[in-house]
Amino acid sequence: MHVLGIQNRDATRETLERVVDRVVDRLSREGRIGVVRYDATIADGTHATHDSTTLGGDVTYDLGADGDWTASGTGLSVGDALDRLAPTCEFAVVVGVSRLRYPTIHVGSDGEPDADDAGTVLATVDSPAELESDALVTALAEAEPHRTLESLVARVKREPTADRSGAIATFTGRVRAKDDDDDAPTEYLEFEKYDEVADERMAALERDLEARAGVFAVELYHRTGVVETGEDIVFVVVLAGHREEAFRTVEDGINRLKDEVPLFKKEVTVEDEFWVHDRP
Amino acid sequence: MTTEWKLFADLAERAGDKHVTVDASAGDTVGDALEELLDGRSELTERVQTDDGELRSQINVLRNGTNVLVEEEGLETELEAGDELALFPPVSGGCCSQ
Repeated sequence: MHVLGIQNRDATRETLERVVDRVVDRLSREGRIGVVRYDATIADGTHATHDSTTLGGDVTYDLGADGDWTASGTGLSVGDALDRLAPTCEFAVVVGVSRLRYPTIHVGSDGEPDADDAGTVLATVDSPAELESDALVTALAEAEPHRTLESLVARVKREPTADRSGAIATFTGRVRAKDDDDDAPTEYLEFEKYDEVADERMAALERDLEARAGVFAVELYHRTGVVETGEDIVFVVVLAGHREEAFRTVEDGINRLKDEVPLFKKEVTVEDEFWVHDRP
Repeated sequence: MTTEWKLFADLAERAGDKHVTVDASAGDTVGDALEELLDGRSELTERVQTDDGELRSQINVLRNGTNVLVEEEGLETELEAGDELALFPPVSGGCCSQ
């Protein structure tokens, strides 16, 4: 799933909504699309203008005909919402959230760039007419996708060979706070990737593992940039006929990914910062 | 003609840049291009070469994504026009040994 932020920089509410409409309309031609809006007036699991009788409930799904639904609830972050969209959507648009690590469109041109914004600004527009929507789709497709373990599992289940598969095995690598009680806690890891070569080698490794007897599909994914303690870094997902080859291929997959793909890891602890290969 | 080096991790920090363009062209060797890169960069030189001027064993040199030390003629490998060179430290398990 590719994620696009849309941020209001001093435009009217109406202009913002028209830009969002235009973008959602264009992206929905490419695939299923999710929209996440941040609205501070939503509180206690209900919308201020919603006439739901559920007050302060944890999660409520209202179901209608043909699988249509609305929902409200508590305890969902923007990241959680994106994780939930990832298994079924090709695109997600996030409206009204700053400091995203995804490519973003600015609506209006309030001059002050936010230094905390990690994602690139794809375009700054004052009206929907200024959007170059085809270029936007291209740029978004080239940006690093948002993947989760569930989205990769969902993807292999959609493979045409899935009806011959009796096993899916997965590996998740995550940022550990400490290896030993006495260690200084890790704050985050930062991964640098030799882009073209890393992508080629990951693809070659997937093909190599998929050529094994009884292995139908392999998905490898490794995040780059800053990954904070407790977050997931890397996934290996194997769709196989039986569990034996699924387990073996998952283990070989993560080992070979670490050996063969040029990714470099900097560790930042509360006390120190160092490239991991520099330590004995 | 010039050739571009891409540097990664602490090697880029020591060189002060992730991309360095050097004066080396088709017919020159990877070693020539490395010499140009290290010229005037003592911190980087110390990191990638031993006191005898040999390349340290854990340093990887790639030409267009291929490890020249394993699959080509090492630093004697001749450059072709438009080559991209890369220099980096070991990946966690010792990248590119295959």
